[in-house]
Amino acid sequence: MDLLTARKFDYQEVLRDVARSMVRLKRPDRLLKLITRFIDRQFGLSHTSLLVLDPKKGCYVFMNSKGAKRLPAGLVKFDTDHPIVQWFSGVHKKLPFQKDFLFLADVKKMLSRAEFRMASNSKADQLIGIQKAMQNLNVELLVPGYFKDTLVGLLMLGRRLNGRFFTTQEVTFFQTLAHDCSMAVKTAEHNQNLIEQNRELERRLQEIERMRGKEQRTYYEIMRSLAEEVHAKEPYIFGHVSEVERLGMMTAREMGMDMSGNAKDILSAALILHDVGKIGIPDNILCKPGRLTQDEWQIMQTHVEKGARILEPLTDFKRVREIIMAHHERFDGTGYPRGLKGEEISIEARIICVVDSFHAIVSSRCYREGRPLDLAIYEIRNCSGTQFDPVVVDAFLRALKKELRKMGEVPSALNEHLAS
Amino acid sequence: MTNKLLIVDDEAEICEFLKSFFEDRDFKVATAHDGAAALDQVERFKPEVVLLDIQMPGMDGLQTLKKMKETHPHVKVIMVTAVETQEKIEEAMRLGADNYITKPLSLEYLEKDVQDKIDLLAKGL
Repeated sequence: MDLLTARKFDYQEVLRDVARSMVRLKRPDRLLKLITRFIDRQFGLSHTSLLVLDPKKGCYVFMNSKGAKRLPAGLVKFDTDHPIVQWFSGVHKKLPFQKDFLFLADVKKMLSRAEFRMASNSKADQLIGIQKAMQNLNVELLVPGYFKDTLVGLLMLGRRLNGRFFTTQEVTFFQTLAHDCSMAVKTAEHNQNLIEQNRELERRLQEIERMRGKEQRTYYEIMRSLAEEVHAKEPYIFGHVSEVERLGMMTAREMGMDMSGNAKDILSAALILHDVGKIGIPDNILCKPGRLTQDEWQIMQTHVEKGARILEPLTDFKRVREIIMAHHERFDGTGYPRGLKGEEISIEARIICVVDSFHAIVSSRCYREGRPLDLAIYEIRNCSGTQFDPVVVDAFLRALKKELRKMGEVPSALNEHLAS
Repeated sequence: MTNKLLIVDDEAEICEFLKSFFEDRDFKVATAHDGAAALDQVERFKPEVVLLDIQMPGMDGLQTLKKMKETHPHVKVIMVTAVETQEKIEEAMRLGADNYITKPLSLEYLEKDVQDKIDLLAKGL
């Protein structure tokens, strides 16, 4: 009894299984292997092979093979000019019956027809090539699989070991299978392309991010030298910027501030750049030896907003701008520009406020000599709770004491304060 | 006279397939799975043409080729390689290989190439 009629529904089920597996499998190798094995077992053929298009190599490669003339996977290829590939690739589109499948018997029949040989030598050559290749591999039936108009794969089947011929129904089954395999191969290829494109995009994004980071770094360095420049204009004692930064970082550590992530970099940048806006203040105001008029004082105050504006391109340091905006706010809410109060002022800005003031007192300015350390400590203490956050003042003075102890002498004012 | 072909590949499946392919074309075929066995077969089997895989564990194709050409300069050697590494191919040609073929290979081309080498030998080249 014919295998297909006897187990008709089994085959429909097989096709359904194949369709299901197609969706599930990311790599079609397993599915193709399963199909080859399935055909080999169910039909008992002398040879079963699956030939699949490798778009990168531009040829068709034998992927799976069963039977006595089994081909090792990946060893043998058909180039696109191979007569069998040519036969199924477009040239014969007009003759659909030829495109769908090809029996060796039909090839022989066509070759025996005299008019065929006379009509076209090249076609006869092609048929001879096909016949030879099929005989070489013990193949009786070729079934192509297409995706759109591209030949994606070829099912190559040998003769039945029991001597029977293939029925039309069986051939239809093979065609459906070949079609499904092509779909599976193309879907997997498409997925693979997507994965590769994704990887490429990710790589480019990383590159852009790296370049952006580098640019930010450069901008930051420029800003840093600009900040140094500002203070070079004012005859401060040497190295104000780095002094303020050191004192600020010491205070933050003394307070046990969380310095994880980029918190440390942000505080450091804010300490260094806090007065960068002074670059936009005219020299006659910035370096005026004597008291500023009301108007001059107002212009001087704009250095806060100017600084924040200059730092706009530093997108990695958004918080730095906010901190700089607030570094002249006072703890009691009487500072500028917004009159923020207490905890409304960020902790970094409160730190800058203390260390910058302290440093200003002990340094020489255009309008006066620097004053002794004792006096500076008294002033800072006096303004604790009004201008300054008392918690920050305490931490600052503790840090300062540790630092001075390293250098030798601790001023009596500091001892008094810390004892009280 | 039957032509003799030696197939050298560490993969037995490949040897068996090519053996049966060339036996169908009336070749006498011997196989070897490594370089040492290949040199031994060249001595005993005396093939006209050798198909020699480049990538083999132990003595690789290039070393085997060198020794083979030293003792049997007239044997025609076609190198078979999975990846087309230009340096290895150049090295093989420098060592006296008569041609090379890359996997996946075209059987039609392989058959023609082996036949060409036999024809060359027949002409005493």
